[in-house]
Amino acid sequence: MAEFVYYVYCIAESTAVAQLPGDSLPAAIEDDAQLEWISVNTLAALVSCVPKTSYSEEPLEEHLTDATWTAIRAMRHETVVEYVAKRVTAIPLRFGTIYLERDGIEQMLAEKGRELELIIEQLRGREEWGVNVYSDRAMLLSSITSVSPVLRELVERAEKASPGQSYLMQKKIDTMRVDEARAAVNRIVDQIEEKLKEQSDDGLRLRILKVETTEHGELKAKFAFLVKRSGFEEFRDAAERLAKEHQAAGIRLELTGPWPVYNFVTGFTG
Amino acid sequence: MSTFDQVIISEEFENTDVSLLETLDHVLNRGLVIAGEITISVADIDLIFLGLNVLVSSVETANEVLRKHEIE
Repeated sequence: MAEFVYYVYCIAESTAVAQLPGDSLPAAIEDDAQLEWISVNTLAALVSCVPKTSYSEEPLEEHLTDATWTAIRAMRHETVVEYVAKRVTAIPLRFGTIYLERDGIEQMLAEKGRELELIIEQLRGREEWGVNVYSDRAMLLSSITSVSPVLRELVERAEKASPGQSYLMQKKIDTMRVDEARAAVNRIVDQIEEKLKEQSDDGLRLRILKVETTEHGELKAKFAFLVKRSGFEEFRDAAERLAKEHQAAGIRLELTGPWPVYNFVTGFTG
Repeated sequence: MSTFDQVIISEEFENTDVSLLETLDHVLNRGLVIAGEITISVADIDLIFLGLNVLVSSVETANEVLRKHEIE
């Protein structure tokens, strides 16, 4: 029984990784582990030998319930993949990809070689950018009243009406305002998706795992876009135009990246 | 390390740091999945991610540990 198993971070081209400086590599997933490339033909996988006592199936599942343990390792995984992806075209593997034997990695690289090469070809010169769309509810609701003629008229009538009538009208106004605001956010989010897809090779709407309310408002949508490095200026300009256009409605755009292309390699099923 | 330096700052965009949560969200759910008997892929990562406030409080711990790690 081997004492170690292999943690795999990413896959890149052998010729490209041969050019990487060997001395400035970031920290591996475990303090005492090293980073090592395993090469087969044109491809190379970046791996670390990690203790079997932590990384075989059962102990790993146990560790993963410990959020601190997982967060630290996930950040290290990210730092390593980022380091590589900044310098060469890399396929990021999902966090927690482990091979029990070195042979297994070599076999995978040999068997999946063609598919992996095709993926690398599609990713070459491209990066992933995240776009988060936030909505400030108060700003949105007030902007809705000023842009909707129907609502404006109701507000004016409510101001002049008797207290009883005014109360009923106010209730109607509130309901309408919320409905219109919701529709407006959906329209804006769709527009952002459409415009930014035009400026990128691919775009994905991501799940929102946690409803976040930040200083920018509530997170309404999360996107990932695959953007050519050479086309990034145009992409950013388009995002800035959208941000400006919807600023008055309380919409904020947040651009994050460049990320390794985590969201654009998921079509591969092995 | 570099993750925190990556935010585009411009007049129209809000000037924010990429949070640790954002990074974890990127890393934990995605990436190439190579299926096979010898690959252990992480399941139930959503549960870990969603796990009440546990993660948020431990994110601070994680940040501390990461900083310490970088200094060393």
